[in-house]
Amino acid sequence: MSWSMTSRFAPLGRWWDTLAFRLTAGYAISGLLTVFLATAGLYLVLVSELDRSTDLFLADKVNVLRTMLRERPNDVDGLREEVELESAARRYEQFYIRLLDQRGNQLMATPGMAEQLDLAQFIAQTRRGRDRATALKGKRGKVFRVTSAAVAVGSPPTHLDIIQVAVDISQKEELLARYRRWFGGIMLGTLVIFPVAGYQIARRGTRPVKEMATTARHISFSNLRERILPEGYPVELASLAATFNEMLDRLEESFERISRFSADIAHDLRTPVNNIRGEAEVALARARTVDEYRDVLGSCLEEAVRLSDLIGDLLFLARAESPLTHLRRAPVDVGELLGSVREYYEASAAEVGISLTMTASAQPIIAELDRPLMQRAVGNLVANAVAHTPPGGTIVLGANAEIAAIRIDVSDTGVGIPPDALPRVFDRFYRVDTSRAQASGGTGLGLSIVQSIMVLHGGHAEIASQQGQGTRVTLHIPLS
Amino acid sequence: MKILVVEDEIKTAKFLKKGLNEAGFVVDVARDGLEGLHLVTEVEFDLVILDVMLPSLDGWQVLARLRESGRRSLVLLLTARDSVQERVRGLELGADDYLVKPFAFSELLARVRSLLRRGPARSQETIRMADLEIDLLRQRATRAGQRLDLTSKEFLLLTLLARRAGEVLSRTLIAEAVWDMNFDSDTNVVDVNVRRLRAKVDEPFPLKLIHTKRGAGYVMEYDQ
Repeated sequence: MSWSMTSRFAPLGRWWDTLAFRLTAGYAISGLLTVFLATAGLYLVLVSELDRSTDLFLADKVNVLRTMLRERPNDVDGLREEVELESAARRYEQFYIRLLDQRGNQLMATPGMAEQLDLAQFIAQTRRGRDRATALKGKRGKVFRVTSAAVAVGSPPTHLDIIQVAVDISQKEELLARYRRWFGGIMLGTLVIFPVAGYQIARRGTRPVKEMATTARHISFSNLRERILPEGYPVELASLAATFNEMLDRLEESFERISRFSADIAHDLRTPVNNIRGEAEVALARARTVDEYRDVLGSCLEEAVRLSDLIGDLLFLARAESPLTHLRRAPVDVGELLGSVREYYEASAAEVGISLTMTASAQPIIAELDRPLMQRAVGNLVANAVAHTPPGGTIVLGANAEIAAIRIDVSDTGVGIPPDALPRVFDRFYRVDTSRAQASGGTGLGLSIVQSIMVLHGGHAEIASQQGQGTRVTLHIPLS
Repeated sequence: MKILVVEDEIKTAKFLKKGLNEAGFVVDVARDGLEGLHLVTEVEFDLVILDVMLPSLDGWQVLARLRESGRRSLVLLLTARDSVQERVRGLELGADDYLVKPFAFSELLARVRSLLRRGPARSQETIRMADLEIDLLRQRATRAGQRLDLTSKEFLLLTLLARRAGEVLSRTLIAEAVWDMNFDSDTNVVDVNVRRLRAKVDEPFPLKLIHTKRGAGYVMEYDQ
């Protein structure tokens, strides 16, 4: 529904979509409502207070006459003074009194009453609601409040007379009219002031957001350096700015990683291709002996194998990142798995005078793991350790069961890794010693693959190293 | 044995034909899926090496129609895409084996031979090669009557090479068969173990049995 609304009233929809408009509308509506309720409430109170004071006045008059008629029914002068003269002394809020007998004949009345009031209407109106004051419009346009009462004459009472009292309330009506005009004026003012002020407040409030948006718009993948200066913003927006900046930091870092990674791939692919190309070119430049050809072809094959291995490793990493990758978990005896890896590398280690041993855990550790992948992870670690441990050193494999996880350690007494290189060793293609790693034939992806395998298992790999002392890599795998 | 290679990449088709010819097979080549399907229905082949990415009719379609027509030729799929789903799909459609590019030719040859080997290999009790004798029951090997002192893994390695004498075995295949390691390790672990085996099996004797095929792997053979 709201969608079709916005599409049908597209300009309004656009307006309504702005934060400033929404805030302004909110301020204006709530402001108008408050002012309206306040003035209307005051007006109602005023009306009822005015009516009450008039009614009290009327009741007072009726009461005086009733007392006089009851106590001194024959004091006609006193009555006349009360009915005919009292009112004449007043300039505003004049009142009129008429005294009728039971049959409706006028006994006495304030002079001029017949000119001001339609007496027949008076009788008709007061008959319906006796003893209650009501409003009555006079002949000359003035508004009166009128009441009437039947009172007993004499004590003990001989008969009933009727008292009619009317008081001119046009002064009060005028006051109310003035008040209403004020009310209208205030509402009109509010109608102008609130939206304008609201809009100003909203605009001022949303300006930092706009500034942030402008900054954000400047950021592209070629310009990830720009940041929002967090000073001068209100606290809520400063935290947004800081969050935004942190996101940019992370983005910048991953972009850097990716571009470094691409450059590294290009380099690592180029080297073997270059070797194949160059060797073949030189070999074909003139006639060679069979042995020379064989040598060149062998070398080309080695380079091709290196390329295949690299592509295989890259594919493995790419697949490991895909959310579609599933592990083929099966119960694995971790000790037995470490033993098989140890057995595999035993001869290589012995060849360079390194002892490769295993610390036995108290009881067998069985976990649901992807066996070939775990073999590969531990194998990569052992291969690294063998490559970086001098003759006479030791490599120890160990596994421990923790509360909800298993831990596999591979520690060596090798050359160690400089502290500044340590955080980057799990990065793809990162090599601590470029020249040495190239010679050893590694792709520079070994530890990245280990980390990927750990991540696939929901765990992680950790590395600690002391230069000249040795390195320890720990694999943490939560039990699923 | 007749083999059909269905492959649109000219160089790949060429080296496959040459390599398989030299290994003693009769080889025909089809350049696309339709031609391949036509040849398979006309001529009886023992094995079809089928590339998945083909013009006109891809490998999956060729395989499906081949199985529909009821031909029981063995099919080895070649693909550049290595994912479990692809593997499963291939095997479900009736492929007999699956190989991912880039592959070592020796690996392909080994798979072709094992696919074409009719029935299970004869369970032998002893393997003889020149003056080498391997007693599988008693787990001992002798050369020229002289007992060879081998570790259990060295014995397994020697048996593997001897059983598949004449075949070049890649390092990956050896690591998988002897140590159950299913990954390409960066180090020269297999080389070290073969070197140690050679020191015991070949070095003391004038006739060398184990040979290195550069870039490909190892082979056991001797010139008669």
